[in-house]
Amino acid sequence: MTNINYSNPEVLVETDWVKHNLGKPGIKLVEIDVDTKAYEAGHIPGAVGFNWQTQLQDQVRRDIISQEAFEKLLGGAGISPNDTVVLYGDNNNWFSAYGFWLFKIYGHKDVRLMNGGRVKWLNENDKQLTTELPKIVPTHYHAAAPDLELRAMLPEVLQAQSGKNCNLVDVRSHDEFTGKVIAPPGMTETAQRGGHIPGAKSVPWSMAVGPDGTFKSAQELRALYVDQKGVDPKTDTIAYCRIGERASHTWFVLKYLLGLPNVKSYDGSWTEYGSIVGVPIEK
Amino acid sequence: MNHQTRVYENIFEMLPSEENPTPLVRINKLNPCAEFPLYAKLEWMNPFGSVKDRAAWELLRDLETRGELGNGRGMVEPTSGNTGISLAAMARARGHRLLAVVPNKIPLEKKVLLKIAGADLEVISDELCPAPGLGDGSINLAKTHAKASSHKYAMPNQYENPKNAEAHFKTTGPEIWKQTEGKITHLFASLGTCGTVIGTSKFLRTKNPDIKIIAVQPTEGHDVPGLRNVSQLGVSKLFDSSLVDDILEIDFHLAYTRALELCQNEGLLAGPSSGLIFEGALEIVRRDQKGHGVMIFPDNIFKYTSNMTKHIPGLSSGTQP
Repeated sequence: MTNINYSNPEVLVETDWVKHNLGKPGIKLVEIDVDTKAYEAGHIPGAVGFNWQTQLQDQVRRDIISQEAFEKLLGGAGISPNDTVVLYGDNNNWFSAYGFWLFKIYGHKDVRLMNGGRVKWLNENDKQLTTELPKIVPTHYHAAAPDLELRAMLPEVLQAQSGKNCNLVDVRSHDEFTGKVIAPPGMTETAQRGGHIPGAKSVPWSMAVGPDGTFKSAQELRALYVDQKGVDPKTDTIAYCRIGERASHTWFVLKYLLGLPNVKSYDGSWTEYGSIVGVPIEK
Repeated sequence: MNHQTRVYENIFEMLPSEENPTPLVRINKLNPCAEFPLYAKLEWMNPFGSVKDRAAWELLRDLETRGELGNGRGMVEPTSGNTGISLAAMARARGHRLLAVVPNKIPLEKKVLLKIAGADLEVISDELCPAPGLGDGSINLAKTHAKASSHKYAMPNQYENPKNAEAHFKTTGPEIWKQTEGKITHLFASLGTCGTVIGTSKFLRTKNPDIKIIAVQPTEGHDVPGLRNVSQLGVSKLFDSSLVDDILEIDFHLAYTRALELCQNEGLLAGPSSGLIFEGALEIVRRDQKGHGVMIFPDNIFKYTSNMTKHIPGLSSGTQP
């Protein structure tokens, strides 16, 4: 699918682009998975693997990793601030979209997503996978101070639901939105109550992609979010899900593909909101 | 080999065929309609314990014939258990290895049986929230192994390999036609890889295009190993809607209660997927009133005791001193 109609087409690369740029200096590939079993079984040649659970999350408190930890992670992966970093991963790029969000928070200039994620690469006959680990030359990576304008915290979400002019976009499944289930079956991260934030619009993340997992065209996305679902493109937007990874996927769509002016991801998402005492909930 | 005396030179001679079909057994107490006899085809009577013997043998023989196995190269396959058990046991008996990639949610019995059958096991976290068409975790991980380590693994790929459906075209269909003496009016089968329903339907339609092919699927979010809801069918490249007349969606809890009824009223020790198929067949019996139905019962209850106690909690009571 062509990406020329997106507001920021430079943040998305196709699998063919990645194939043609394998091994070029200044281009680094990172696979981000919920765990690294898939990476260990086979990854794009030259890609390093990040574990979303253990490497992108603070392991003590519930938070993104610190600036220092981010610098250490990227330096250890041989990434420099001026590199073009292409992210891809499992689960239709949810976790790599979260990684994209984190890279942007810490000011990495040129970070991109590979359209369709690892499953698209896997199913294309001309694309190779390897179990060989890349040879890494560590760097001293210096990150910018975190740009928290990309991140919504609970007070801002409470303001948004209590009447501030702000789009709240719930990207979870229909059953999670209506409170039929608190989390998808088998998930350990859950909340005390089911339902959604009052006023939120339900736009499951999967509506932004086609059958092969690649993003829909800008026209289709605009028709979906703005025309059908009523997301006002002139006001602020907060996307949320359950633990913040699916929200990152939609945040990427709204901010970069559609170019909405001020989009934040609420990574506390339903596991935080649905556990707070006394906050309003709709079902 | 002699199917009369049932003396065989090796286990593979026992595999089913028109001359050596799996049994058809009539449902008696639980069928409300005398004008619509229902027969269960007991696929657990296959030598490795399930309907998957048919596809596994066809897939394995195809790889062997094409010289894809041997010299340190074995197989990798995503499985919810039955295909893996059949493939592993067959493979080990013929000198090959199998890496079975399984979702964590399959019953413990199946995981242990896979190991007993000789499979190497890779268990992965259950799918989080799969998107239609993208495949699921176990399929993608098996494909990854086959692509990244092609010197070690060939992938039979039951979800995409037409040999899967071909096995049923060659065996299940002709067996049913012969066993019913051409009287079959309705076929009932479940949807998983779709090989059974598509291959059998294709054969039966060559004999009688009016036979109704009824596929039965569990409700979304189900817990019936081996089966797929239509929303998950994108992973199967074998499904062909022109070969299926009706797709019934059945509350998956009924898979367990109906299986228990079959065990306790008909003496058929049928597993939950058979229970689901039976419920679907009853719906059609009540609707059509007349006919001659065959239900393909994929496997028996023995691998599902943990799932049965999970969904029918009363089964656990009185099991402790």
